[in-house]
Amino acid sequence: MLRVNSVSKIYDSARGAYFALDNVSLTIANGEFVCLLGPSGCGKSTLLNILAGFEAVSSGTVMFGDAPVTGADRERVMLFQDAGSALLPWLSTEENVRFGLRVRKMAKADWPATIDKYLRMVSLDTHRTKFPSELSGGMRQRLQIARALAVEPKVLLMDEPFAALDALTRRHMHTVLLDIWRRTGKTIVFVTHDIAEAIALADRIAVMSTGPRSAITRLIDIDLSRPRDMTNPKVAQLFNDIEALLAPDLLGSTERLEAN
Amino acid sequence: MTIPETRTTDAGLSLRPARSWLASPALRTISLTIASVVIAFLAWQFCSSVLFNPFLIPPPLEVFRTAIPMLVSGEILADVSISMTRVLVGFVTGSLAGIVIGVLLGRIRLLHDLLDPIIELMRYLSPTAMIPIAVIWFGIGEMSKYFLIFWGTFFIVLINTTAGVWRTPIARQRAAECLGANQLQIFVMVVVPSAIPYIVTGMRVAMASSFMSIIPAEILAADSGIGYLLQKSSMLLQTNRIFVALLTICVLGFIVDRIFRFFVDKVLARYMSLVSQT
Repeated sequence: MLRVNSVSKIYDSARGAYFALDNVSLTIANGEFVCLLGPSGCGKSTLLNILAGFEAVSSGTVMFGDAPVTGADRERVMLFQDAGSALLPWLSTEENVRFGLRVRKMAKADWPATIDKYLRMVSLDTHRTKFPSELSGGMRQRLQIARALAVEPKVLLMDEPFAALDALTRRHMHTVLLDIWRRTGKTIVFVTHDIAEAIALADRIAVMSTGPRSAITRLIDIDLSRPRDMTNPKVAQLFNDIEALLAPDLLGSTERLEAN
Repeated sequence: MTIPETRTTDAGLSLRPARSWLASPALRTISLTIASVVIAFLAWQFCSSVLFNPFLIPPPLEVFRTAIPMLVSGEILADVSISMTRVLVGFVTGSLAGIVIGVLLGRIRLLHDLLDPIIELMRYLSPTAMIPIAVIWFGIGEMSKYFLIFWGTFFIVLINTTAGVWRTPIARQRAAECLGANQLQIFVMVVVPSAIPYIVTGMRVAMASSFMSIIPAEILAADSGIGYLLQKSSMLLQTNRIFVALLTICVLGFIVDRIFRFFVDKVLARYMSLVSQT
């Protein structure tokens, strides 16, 4: 269980303080798939970084199970949008996964079987010796997923992981991810600005408002069976509702752009 | 030149003659390289015999005639090996120092903020500017040359290394951190390898700069080496021998750069792909 209690985040910069998150609370159950949805600059990545332990809160608490989150931990592994940066480009597919096993101090004898298991899970077992530069964008993301799963975390924190992929690959990645989620029972916190993506994936969507002073404005439960068909009237209705919810924020950001 | 009519029987598709010999990339490179040398040779000959005076610009054949006995007697080889030793000692020690300190500066903010202003000023002291003081400090023996090459290499490699360490993507460091890597592992297994392309670039630039600085250093403060050969020939107005020395520098620089590239391609290839964006 991940519990965010009245978390605020203020950045101090040379140009003055920036109030990024204002009194955010959210409880995520074990095995739950939660999407943080909102426009750019709404602090959803900040919240994810706080959950990972990369950034400290200015006030409030973040609890993982019974312990407060004080730093990064392999129980909560982050996956980044730019897999090319997140992976180690000088290591092959197999070696990238092995890197995780080495730093988590797994016994060497167990490496081959573990690498095998997770590369198979993301269908990269036939690309073991390729380097990240030889993989497509989707394959790099799958490698990032395999590397994360191999250290056996409880939570996957995903920061717009599919935003840079083409539409077809993105849909394929949704299927892959949901399948892995079903098979492994991980808790997933997934940041996106794509309403359709959030609806396709999540058990629950936390809609966030634009900064400064971003907050979770609405929590939406989706109890529709997967795969979710975009032409299903219920899904379409949900899409429109969320879009309407986000509209004032988008309008606000356009006005701000024009004012600048 | 006649273009032979080539017929490829391959599936009977192409019965037209091949476009030209320039179509093959390898052949094209080789032909153009040869052409480039021939043109240079002719231009040189032209400058020597028509535009200027053969004493000021000795004709190419004359230069080669001078070069052969110098090569055979081992005179050039001796000068080359002494200059190369100086470059190598200064380059290797300068690179090592530059990498070690560069990595620390890239990683330790306080150290960087403390030393950066001094480095930013001192980097403008080229090895040539340091020759007079080097001679006073170390005499005209080997040490002054090692020092000068070290000096030139050190700052270039240092600045590139620091930049490389800095540009290690945050995502890569954080990814390693949440997989369970400690700070030392992140440093050794993530940050330093990420900086390798920058370090190599710095070393390549430093190698070229070492070649440039060894010559003035030897002209002003040595009694051996290619620079000294230039200096001595100039005093004796032996333009032939000056040209032999100049050609030697060209060929040497070219060869060393190729060796460097070969080494990078063979040993460091996997580290050389810069961050690939998805």
